[in-house]
Amino acid sequence: MKRKVLSAFGLLAVFVAILFCLGLPGSKAQAKTYQIGTDVTYPPFEFANKKNKYVGIDIDIIKAIAKEEGFKVNVKPVGFNAAVQSVQSGQLDGIIAGMTITPERKDKFDFGTPYYKTGAVMAVKKGSNITSFKQLKGKKVALKTGTAAADYANSLKKKYGFKTVTFDDSDNMYQDVTTGNSVACFDDQPVLQYGIKHGLKLQIASKPANQGWYGFGVKKGTHKQLIKKFNAGLKIIRENGTYDKIVGKYLGTTANPQVKGKTFTIGTDVTFPPFEFANKNNKYVGIDMDLIRAIANEQGFKVKIKALGFNAAVQAVESGQADGVIAGMSITNARKAQFDFSKPYFNSGVVMAVAKNSKIHKLSELRGKKVAVKTGTSGADYANSLKKKYGFKVVTFDDSNNMYQDVTTGNSIACFEDHPVMQYAIKQGTKLKIVTKPALNAPYGFAVKKGHNQALLKAFNTGLEDLKASGTYDTIKAKYLGSDEIKTAAKTSGNSAEDRTFIGLIKQNQGALLSGLKETLWLTVVSIFFATIFGVLVGLMGVVPNKFSRGTSTTLIYLFRGMPLLVLALFIYTGIPSLTGQKIPAFVAGVITLTFNEGAYIAAFVKGGIEAVDPGQMEAARSLGLPFGKSMRKIILPQGIRIMVPSFINQFIITLKDTSILSIIGLLELTQTGKIIIARNLEGFKVWTIVAAIYLIIITVLTWLSNWVQRRTKV
Amino acid sequence: MSEKVKVTNLVKTFGDNEVLKGINLTVQNNEVVVIIGPSGSGKSTLLRNLNKLEEPTSGSIVIDNVDIARNDVDINSVRENIGMVFQHFNLFKNLTVGENIMLAPIELKKETKEQAEAQAKKLLATVGLEEKFGATVQSLSGGQQQRVAIARALAMNPDIMLFDEPTSALDPEMVGDVLEVMKKLAKQGMTMVVVTHEMGFAKEVADRVVFVDDGQILEEGTPEQIFEHPKNERLQDFLNKILNV
Ligand SMILES: Nc1ncnc2c1ncn2[C@@H]1O[C@H](COP(=O)(O)OP(=O)(O)OP(=O)(O)O)[C@@H](O)[C@H]1O
Ligand SMILES: [Mg+2]
Repeated sequence: MKRKVLSAFGLLAVFVAILFCLGLPGSKAQAKTYQIGTDVTYPPFEFANKKNKYVGIDIDIIKAIAKEEGFKVNVKPVGFNAAVQSVQSGQLDGIIAGMTITPERKDKFDFGTPYYKTGAVMAVKKGSNITSFKQLKGKKVALKTGTAAADYANSLKKKYGFKTVTFDDSDNMYQDVTTGNSVACFDDQPVLQYGIKHGLKLQIASKPANQGWYGFGVKKGTHKQLIKKFNAGLKIIRENGTYDKIVGKYLGTTANPQVKGKTFTIGTDVTFPPFEFANKNNKYVGIDMDLIRAIANEQGFKVKIKALGFNAAVQAVESGQADGVIAGMSITNARKAQFDFSKPYFNSGVVMAVAKNSKIHKLSELRGKKVAVKTGTSGADYANSLKKKYGFKVVTFDDSNNMYQDVTTGNSIACFEDHPVMQYAIKQGTKLKIVTKPALNAPYGFAVKKGHNQALLKAFNTGLEDLKASGTYDTIKAKYLGSDEIKTAAKTSGNSAEDRTFIGLIKQNQGALLSGLKETLWLTVVSIFFATIFGVLVGLMGVVPNKFSRGTSTTLIYLFRGMPLLVLALFIYTGIPSLTGQKIPAFVAGVITLTFNEGAYIAAFVKGGIEAVDPGQMEAARSLGLPFGKSMRKIILPQGIRIMVPSFINQFIITLKDTSILSIIGLLELTQTGKIIIARNLEGFKVWTIVAAIYLIIITVLTWLSNWVQRRTKV
Repeated sequence: MSEKVKVTNLVKTFGDNEVLKGINLTVQNNEVVVIIGPSGSGKSTLLRNLNKLEEPTSGSIVIDNVDIARNDVDINSVRENIGMVFQHFNLFKNLTVGENIMLAPIELKKETKEQAEAQAKKLLATVGLEEKFGATVQSLSGGQQQRVAIARALAMNPDIMLFDEPTSALDPEMVGDVLEVMKKLAKQGMTMVVVTHEMGFAKEVADRVVFVDDGQILEEGTPEQIFEHPKNERLQDFLNKILNV
């Protein structure tokens, strides 16, 4: 006997092994196929066309890139949230789903180069007179879970006093506005534009805000190769025009029309690392260079860089030989007389640096010591202005390197230098460390001749903002300055420093979870109340001696017990308004859904309970001359109810759990609350654990309560 | 003596199964009629037709000059005057003994609560169970339950009492008490139709014995005629069987 079991196991093992062998070679031998998740419907980024083929900007881009880079993709439209979770769980390799790059998501994902710029806009029903957020006061606004536009709307919610309803897919959200349940919705601009262009009865009622970038994501720390290929491919399709063709196909052109295709001459310094310097290949690189090129790329213009030296560059702009200057140029009032400056693109300042192993970290510790500076720099000016107060001596050098060396060898105890310059030097291997915060703040700006080249200036500002939003700006900075600053910046920006432990997550989301729980309980109680009325009525109809009423009862039970709750909910919420033209609040739709569904189950066991009562009881009652109804009420029901009590309690618990399905129509109950929290912080496992625990606690309490009731109703 | 019940050509079918095949039976006022017959012959069905627990298929059942087989009769008020006692007692399990008896009088507005209570206690006394007024049904023995069931049936002051094998579900030592109560009732002049296998009771109490077989009345007469001088062969068979058990 035992042997047989063993050999059965052996067979199974062989079978599994064969399956593996059959599965593996395919993936090894040929070009690698990546499983890429995307949304179900998010036009123009992904949607099924008339031939039921998935197309859209995202799909076309990832396919074009795959073609360029010689890999294969299998795009799976599993839905946004599912795709996010599948990538996190490793079931999918990557996600391209109109996914906005946010700091929270960066904690969980590695993103490729941002590939599409977007912004959140508000849309209202066609012909609606709502044109500002103020008019939303007290009204309902529809959102789609997990979108940046939803975050944006939530950030406005308090200020403008509107309510939000969330949906899992765009169609339901739009429909909520077109049926009038909600007065407005928030969505990404291109998505709405495309939808309206294709017949959606909405109109855009606000300017794009919270602009962000879409990125291709993989699980953090995995698929480095895929990201590399994606970036390389994206660069190629951007340069060869494929990208523009794809976007144009769905939306028309996006680049800034005022500068598109033009070439501008930009003057810069000869050597001012890390802002501009020639690299090993004698190509000009640096923060300024990368920035102006990235902006040009984004805004669709071209630049010709001329490394003229700082003074020459400034003069070239004044004389009109160059269109602009970017050269680590501080924005000063004096310069503003001749130049129009862009918004500051970099904040410089003077810092003090000491040897790596030094314990000095304050200016007051410099008393009696020697300090190194470089002639003509703001660092030197700063040191000279402080030397009296703190009683240190200043040694001057002509060259930065010598100055640094004076500190590392111990001749001088510290040196003063521009912050980015110092950072860059340290990154390059100088054995110093920065010990003070930047002083004498000096914002750098891009400049054009006063009153000239305004389109270029505007394009620079827009481009800069975009790069900041997309994270490209940070990437450029980090490339030259190391990531320390960015890390601290990210930390102080708050969100990513969130406490991600269970306790932390509960604390942060306490309010949301509690109100979700309240909605769940409220839904349960109201629904079970009506479901009981409905169920008892239908159940009784099933036992009276009348064929028509029995048939009705059987049909109702059959109908509502046979229909999946999800379908019923969607039918009632979106179907009924389409049929009657009468809008129906989500809560009411939810209660109706549960009333019918749970009511049908109640009816079935009410009927069963009554039928389980000995028929002799009814005969005895009737033989005394009691009418049917009275016999039912006085004799049969009291006995039947005792039989039904356990089923009632069971149904109560089932109803509580079933409320979670109503998240589909945007009810902010516990499950939907969980979904929303996860969409923001991507802590799927932990948040679902918390949500599950809450359900279990409530159900445990309910079970206790019901056991108590049951004990009391026992004969 | 006047006619209380007159059954004419009563036919009852369940689907294709003709259970009663044209029954003609008259019950006089104050008469005790005992129905005997083999199992499945239609005794219960006949009895249940008398208060329309079964709907007659055809024929007439005239009680106090009203044909209750017709559809337009108010069956509830007819039933108020016909008490019925079942083989399995069928006491209301969710009510106490007292409540079982008082339910119909109160609900049908014949009596106030106080009157009903007084009457219930009186009835319990006549069946020898006065101390059980507040008891639960579950705490009673079978014989006690059947006596309460009789009291319950009497609470509406019926003119006729129907008994369907009232003692056959009882342990032998309980049978006597129940039969005692029935005898007392008979003595008081109650019109009774009793289905039973208790031949002793039939001999002692019955004014008339009716033998039913295969949905027909094959013979009827005084207990003496039926038990001592049975004419019908099937009746003779039947009596042989039960008396020789
Ligand atoms: N509700 C019913 N539906 C179908 N057939 C029935 C029904 N009630 C009784 N019958 C049938 O009618 C026939 C007579 O039944 P009935 O109960 O009247 O017999 P009975 O003489 O009382 O027998 P017993 O001595 O066993 O009580 C039986 O064949 C029985 O199966
Ligand atoms: Mg019978």
